[in-house]
Amino acid sequence: MAAPSNKIIVQELKSGNRLGCTHLVNLYQARLIDEAVRVFHLHQEDAEELVADVLLLVVKNIQTFEFRKSESDFNGWVITIFRNKVRDFIRKAATTGDLIERFEEAELEEDKTFSKTEQQVTEAIVRGYQEAVRQAEGENVGPVAAKLLAIADSLDRLEPWERVLLRCRALDVPYEDIALYTEKPVAQLKVYHARVKKKFVRILSEQYPELKENEKQSG
Amino acid sequence: MRNNLVDTMLQIAWLEGWVNTHGAYEKAVTKRKVPAYISESTRENLVKRLESALEATRPLPPLTVGLLLRGARTGRGLRPQEIFSRLGVTQNIYQLMEQDVISPLKIPVAVWKKAIQLLSYPVDEMTEILRRTEQLVFYRPAFRGVLARYNDGKKPGLKRSTLEKANSELYAKASLPLPEDREAKLKILISKLKDETGKE
Repeated sequence: MAAPSNKIIVQELKSGNRLGCTHLVNLYQARLIDEAVRVFHLHQEDAEELVADVLLLVVKNIQTFEFRKSESDFNGWVITIFRNKVRDFIRKAATTGDLIERFEEAELEEDKTFSKTEQQVTEAIVRGYQEAVRQAEGENVGPVAAKLLAIADSLDRLEPWERVLLRCRALDVPYEDIALYTEKPVAQLKVYHARVKKKFVRILSEQYPELKENEKQSG
Repeated sequence: MRNNLVDTMLQIAWLEGWVNTHGAYEKAVTKRKVPAYISESTRENLVKRLESALEATRPLPPLTVGLLLRGARTGRGLRPQEIFSRLGVTQNIYQLMEQDVISPLKIPVAVWKKAIQLLSYPVDEMTEILRRTEQLVFYRPAFRGVLARYNDGKKPGLKRSTLEKANSELYAKASLPLPEDREAKLKILISKLKDETGKE
């Protein structure tokens, strides 16, 4: 049997029909848990609880939701709520120091790909973010976002197709989709992904001259 | 997907809103094949939690004609003229209806019939709304006197509008007997409305 459309699910929920809850869970629970575990590396139990919170928010706020352009509006709305919940989870991890631990694990895997300075730069950004989150204590998030300005600036200095490749692959968007957006062959994107990452980190490092200087001196 | 230093950093930037994929991520999530590793009990527990939340958020039915019309108009993003022309009343009458200051007995049955069709509202619930609105209109002057006594300056913290709202709701909910002649007229109106909507 075909799954009900987003429009039907929204109608059911808005009219108080309990069947809408079953349809919502069938469509989104496993999908979002999979995203939380596979893409954002949450533990299974955390992911299940987070997704339950997301879908509870969807149900509680369903009366405020309106379709504006197409059926996919609902999908976009659910994923925005999911994104905000994952962000809150990551911020919480940052305040307890878990974020740096996860980051250090990643570093060990890649210590041959990037130079010491490049690793230090990425770590400095995450540490800066962690520090800003701790200081903000969930209140004023402005300084938190400002710590990520270097990332946005460095991305702007890449070619447009390189930017799309990096941003999309970070969220596991398939190469086939990226090929459509960039008009580049899949094989080329796969080969260039690692190179573009390296280029991005090199540009990022230029914003941390003090670390580059340290490397020269120790070299 | 492997945990990766640059990807983690870009993910944080995306989560914080500094980087976006212009809908590419949302599309990808919709298209992904979903592994079926959620246990049945986890699924059922969540469905139950959502059903309880849905029950708690169900909006209360409108108590009066004014609340019904205002709710329908704002809920559907309509302008007043889009409703009163379809109901077949003048703008002035419609405004009085929205403010619950006109007796439903003064509005023709045909208008109420159109309202039921336009708002897809059940007849039985509409007749209850008409009864409460009639009670509201009839008892309002009496309650105004009470309000005036409340608002005599002894309790300056209480705003008249707040009290008026509270009282409107209270006496719309309460059992307020109408005088015999009004009750008889109301019964005729309701009976006609039920007959005419039942014929279709």
